[in-house]
Amino acid sequence: MTARPTDAPEKLLASLQERAKELNCLYEVEAVLSRSDLDLDGIFGGVVRALPPGWQYPDICRAMIVFQGRAYGAEGFEPTPWCLSADIVVQDEVLGEVRVYYLEERPTEQRGPFLLDEVRLVGTVAARLGHYILFQRLRGMREELLAARAAEGEDEQEAWRVPIRLLRQSDKNLYLRIARKILNHLGRIGVAEAQALLPGSTLAGDAAPDGQTETNVPGRRINPNVAVLLSEQPFELAGRHLGGREILERVQRWMQDDKASDFMRALNSPRTSVPEIADALRRFHHGVADGSGFAPSTVKTLRVLLTQRLLTEQLDFVRVAKDYVETTDFESLVDRMIVPVESHGKLGGKSAGLILAEKILQRGAQPDRPVGRVKVPRTWFIASDALGDFVVHNDLQDVIEQKFKESDQIRQEYSNVIQLFKNSTFPPSIHAALASALDDFGERPLIIRSSSLLEDRLGTAFSGKYKSLFLANQGTKQERLDALLDAIAEVYASTFGPDPIEYRRERGLLEFNEEMGILIQEVVGTRIGDYFLPAFAGVAFSNNEFRWSPRIKREDGLIRLVPGLGTRAVDRVADDYPVLVVPGQPALRANVAIDEIVRYSPRKLDAINLKTRTIETVPIADFIRRWGREYPGFERVFSVLKDDMLKKPVGVLVDPERDELVVTFEGLVMGTPFLTQLGHIMDLLKARLETPVDIEFAHDGTDFYLLQCRPQSYAGEAAPAPIPKEVPREDIIFSASRHVSNGWIPDITHIVYVDPEKYGLLGSRADLLAVGRAVGRLNRLLPKRQFILMGPGRWGSRGDIKLGVSVTYADISSTAMLLEIARKQGGYLPDLSFGTHFFQDLVESRIRYLPLYPDDEGIHFNERFLLRAHNLLSEMLPEFAHLAETVRVIDVPAAADGRVLRVLMNADLNEALAILTAPGDRPASEPTLAAGDSAISPAAYWRWRMKMAERIAEETDPWRYGVVAMYVFGSTKNAMAGPGSDIDLLVHFRGDERQRECLLTWLDGWSLCLAEINYLRTGYRSDGLLDVHLVTDEDIAARTSYAVKIGAVTDPARELPLGAAASGAGEGRRHQ
Amino acid sequence: MAAKGSFNAFEMARTQFDKIADVIQLDQAARDLLRSPMREYHFSIPVRMDDGTHKVFQGFRCQHNDARGPAKGGIRFHPQETIDTVRALSMWMTWKCAVADIPLGGGKGGVICDPHHLSMREQEAICRGWVRQLARDIGPTRDVPAPDVMTNAQHMLWMLDEFETIHGAKSPGLITGKPVGMGGSLGRAQATGYGVIYTLREALKELNLRAEQTTASVQGFGNVAQYAIQLYHQLGGRVVCVSSWDQEDQTSYAFLRKSGVDLQELLAITDRFGGIDKKKAAAKGYEVLPGDQWIDQDVEILMPCALENQISADNVGRIGPRVKIIAEGANGPTAPEADAVIHKRGIFVIPDFLANAGGVTCSYFEQVQSNMNYYWEMDEVLGKLDVKMTSAYLAVSELARKQKLYMRDSAYVVAINRVAQACRDRGWI
Repeated sequence: MTARPTDAPEKLLASLQERAKELNCLYEVEAVLSRSDLDLDGIFGGVVRALPPGWQYPDICRAMIVFQGRAYGAEGFEPTPWCLSADIVVQDEVLGEVRVYYLEERPTEQRGPFLLDEVRLVGTVAARLGHYILFQRLRGMREELLAARAAEGEDEQEAWRVPIRLLRQSDKNLYLRIARKILNHLGRIGVAEAQALLPGSTLAGDAAPDGQTETNVPGRRINPNVAVLLSEQPFELAGRHLGGREILERVQRWMQDDKASDFMRALNSPRTSVPEIADALRRFHHGVADGSGFAPSTVKTLRVLLTQRLLTEQLDFVRVAKDYVETTDFESLVDRMIVPVESHGKLGGKSAGLILAEKILQRGAQPDRPVGRVKVPRTWFIASDALGDFVVHNDLQDVIEQKFKESDQIRQEYSNVIQLFKNSTFPPSIHAALASALDDFGERPLIIRSSSLLEDRLGTAFSGKYKSLFLANQGTKQERLDALLDAIAEVYASTFGPDPIEYRRERGLLEFNEEMGILIQEVVGTRIGDYFLPAFAGVAFSNNEFRWSPRIKREDGLIRLVPGLGTRAVDRVADDYPVLVVPGQPALRANVAIDEIVRYSPRKLDAINLKTRTIETVPIADFIRRWGREYPGFERVFSVLKDDMLKKPVGVLVDPERDELVVTFEGLVMGTPFLTQLGHIMDLLKARLETPVDIEFAHDGTDFYLLQCRPQSYAGEAAPAPIPKEVPREDIIFSASRHVSNGWIPDITHIVYVDPEKYGLLGSRADLLAVGRAVGRLNRLLPKRQFILMGPGRWGSRGDIKLGVSVTYADISSTAMLLEIARKQGGYLPDLSFGTHFFQDLVESRIRYLPLYPDDEGIHFNERFLLRAHNLLSEMLPEFAHLAETVRVIDVPAAADGRVLRVLMNADLNEALAILTAPGDRPASEPTLAAGDSAISPAAYWRWRMKMAERIAEETDPWRYGVVAMYVFGSTKNAMAGPGSDIDLLVHFRGDERQRECLLTWLDGWSLCLAEINYLRTGYRSDGLLDVHLVTDEDIAARTSYAVKIGAVTDPARELPLGAAASGAGEGRRHQ
Repeated sequence: MAAKGSFNAFEMARTQFDKIADVIQLDQAARDLLRSPMREYHFSIPVRMDDGTHKVFQGFRCQHNDARGPAKGGIRFHPQETIDTVRALSMWMTWKCAVADIPLGGGKGGVICDPHHLSMREQEAICRGWVRQLARDIGPTRDVPAPDVMTNAQHMLWMLDEFETIHGAKSPGLITGKPVGMGGSLGRAQATGYGVIYTLREALKELNLRAEQTTASVQGFGNVAQYAIQLYHQLGGRVVCVSSWDQEDQTSYAFLRKSGVDLQELLAITDRFGGIDKKKAAAKGYEVLPGDQWIDQDVEILMPCALENQISADNVGRIGPRVKIIAEGANGPTAPEADAVIHKRGIFVIPDFLANAGGVTCSYFEQVQSNMNYYWEMDEVLGKLDVKMTSAYLAVSELARKQKLYMRDSAYVVAINRVAQACRDRGWI
């Protein structure tokens, strides 16, 4: 084969032949090495002869081995320049070299005249020789050891000498370190000779010979006397002062520690990449079980380093993690970590939280407070810096500038960013790793969650800001992989979405280089028909911020349970309710009467449709009629409603097609240890993580799965409000110190106060009912969420309404807060309802509840203000004027020199305070997360709306549209508009039907345009931004509908100057 | 006692009684007897709570009058229960049973408690404690409790079980509101709605109207309304408008179809709380109007079957000129001021405690069946209900016609007179 092949097939054939030659060569080498009759010289000779046939030009090929200064096979040829060589390494020491020469020049290949395969071959042979030599040496030592044992008989005292000698011969560096340790040890136990041998040691007696140790002058450097250490002296000493067994034990432990310190060096170096750490971790664990034989401090150090490198650097987290996350845990973790080649990334907050929680539950539970079996769904992790890799790989660096753009531009471009990301490719290594992750998952549905590094820093602030996507994960491998890549790209793109960027801008985190890890997690559940869903899922909170009974304590916790995917428990869904249970008080339920239970039971569930590969919201009634008892955990989820009773579904007697089934979780809560165990889980996590937590979980009917764990979020207005101490007494409207939850209600402009005493004195049932109706009317008239309702006893009483105003939820739906006042009557303090009549409605619409006990000691109740302020009732609702004694409507700014009311509630202190304060004037230490969702200053919302309203009026041709006047009212006029508010326009219309139509079309156009602009500015979507109300002359005369707003006593509409002419009489002079 | 001048349910019930007593010129002894309950029980129920502490609950039972038969009335769990409320309600039960002409007297009871703050076990303890205190004073032949505010079939069965344990004998007639198969009666769901239409049918006859020629507008689409519409349609009438509560929008809507609503069609798009899906209804050709417009419809019959005080001074003027009958399926749907206007306009009213007496009549049937331990088929229950409701109606309307009384007043006169007569017959007064 000396001729060089020219065309392709022949080239292929040639290369295959080369491979065959190589393999032959290796076999030959192996055959030589396995001959026990040869000494080292013979072996080397044999190998030298076996090598040349493996090369492309065997005829002119010669091999030679140089070992410890001797050359083998060098006879009969002169070294030439065409040479390949590889070192023979034994225990990190180069002892020799294998060389292969061509005697003549040959055409240039990959490496001079040699093929790459040949380069590798010579390396392989050299490595194999190194191993062989090491093996031979160790065998020699072992024989020596056995011989020594035999010679020394049972003399244990001397048995240690042989291994130490072996160590000295085989690994000089390790021996040095061990020797230093033994000397140190001897010094510590007071062996003077040892102290003398260690001149640098403070144990040597004169620790500071020149008295400078404590000064600011650098200490003198003392070279350890290597020669002394390498000599036999240290162990001779040891032999004299220590027992043989002790020496052996100590040496053994130090050797292990040494192994750990190797690993630690790798971890400590910032240059070590994640794959290298993974390798080091695997090497470390190879043959060493976690912690076995290591000093506790070593183990902790390793855990801390691993946590910092792989999970998160947040100190609080690391401090807890070191006690629960073992080094072996990291080993199984790195097997499921997808990292860029040179990765220095981490997993991010969400992943770290989940891993730590899992380990705490596995290892921290006390036998008397069992947590049951807690599983975590199979999860793969993508390291945070894969995002950067992805960006660079696709040349997307431009998107990083995104965050410095204007918010409307960001929003406008966001859909492009998503598409850009989705049309990008992943670096090959990530692509391949994701493919193998998919093999691991099979066709299980997946959820792709973000796990941002910023989430570490801010606790939970980012929750929900980045995307989580469900994948049905069905079809061919290619389809599934494409869908997975698509989803990851989309989650990546969400980093550059407008909402997270706004959020970061607000908190000064824009410059923080956001990296985002990703969790790819199996969805918990089972298949039913075409659907895939868990039996039930939910969220649990350590702190219960919505207590419906005085018997429930804050630390009793709260669980929101839903059937199917947990999406419906995590988010508030307007038309449905999760089941609420309290782990600390499982028997106390928010809904008690049968119709309450039924009304507030979940009616829909979310499931993954495997066929359409989407998430679907399915009516539970339909679902259960179709699938019946196939529903996993059927008996635990459903009750049968029959004869005004909710019954356990018993065995085959339940007919899901005919029986009325209601989701109650009664079987689960009362019939299984689920709730107790979940309570223990929450307690344990709270105790160990030293903070209240919230978790997400799911149950597939068989097992409980933990999906997420994080410090309990104080989303938005649910953060504990700081209670100011030195508020002038007259500025306090009320204070409270019982059953206070967290919250912060700013800028209340109106108070509706139902005077408890006067209410009690009302003479007829009709009057009592009228109070409820008046409140309902006020609810529609007063600005939404800017008024509070204060009244006696139990709001929403039905039947006996004497001690509580009879209202339904619809009558109070716009209030910001509901207050129940319990005044002592004789010695008797009335029982309050805690809003139970519509408790879940209050929770879902975030209306705050607070009970007031004005007669308690130390409580302020500014009755004077409430009774003295001007009462607007008769002016707003003349038909209820006769109730003016009882129902007082107070315009706070009017009654308090332009100030507004702010209610601050702090559950930690169990204190609440309502104070008069300047509008928009934030308290000094405003809760960090209470602000809105955007960087636009709150005032900008209404100013922009007002400007637009003025502009519309200006542009509106009164003559053409038959408009007499235009007004703005509501949140825009009151400077209270938020990013999602609409603009309430009131149009005094005096035209014909055609003009009416034209006007509405004209305003409709405005409405759509403004909605689009508002969307770009804020991200709030709406079908239109204008809420237009036409009123006619008759309306104004009769003061019906919105006409009352014109010239109203409180909160009147503001007139806007019209365009062309001053009034409807004007002529069409527009666009001249 | 409540503060002077404040609203007091018992005072109100007495005032109403006094007014009728004047009409029928009741003698003083009868007034004294009927103005107050004959017996009242006040007692304490100690309960060991789930957390190991003990709490004592206050319980009541009023037996207002049992001249016509064992007292009958619900047990309420209410945190603001007062003895005056219980007294008033027990008096109303006496009149209600009497106007329906069923052989039962009036009673009411309750416990001051809020079940929202109690576990089921604690509620069970209250139920059993209540029975232990009263085991000698209630019973199938003395006083027959039933479910009421915040109590349901489950509470009744606990109470029945405790009573039977104490007495060492089965006596399902102690209590009503039991599930079918546990001593309950068939036809409970239909009873009130059908009862409304049985009385309406008789009223139409009396006014010489043919059901086929009438149209009706119904407020509410719950249990009562649904069965009322069903039977009214069977009679040949045509409901053109129903209103229902929309949970999502927190408001009610009226669904209008001049050609008549299709009950089955509506039921198919109605949730279990009687909420009609407004989008689907619109798609099916119903006009969706604001909920209060049920009252504006140009029909012969109005049936308020939802809440109390729905016809008020505010909207009574909107009642159409063709309206001839108001059948009150709900409790107290007409506010007193509105009632006066209706009276003046000469609209024929079937007052609530007559029109919706189907419910209490069915409870009576349940007790009868329990006492004989033999349970009727549905048709038998409904057949007997028709007979009972018809004769109750005829007695009231005949008196109204003869004495030129407003129907509401006539119903009270019939009821009070029957009770007073029973007391006299027994030689009490």
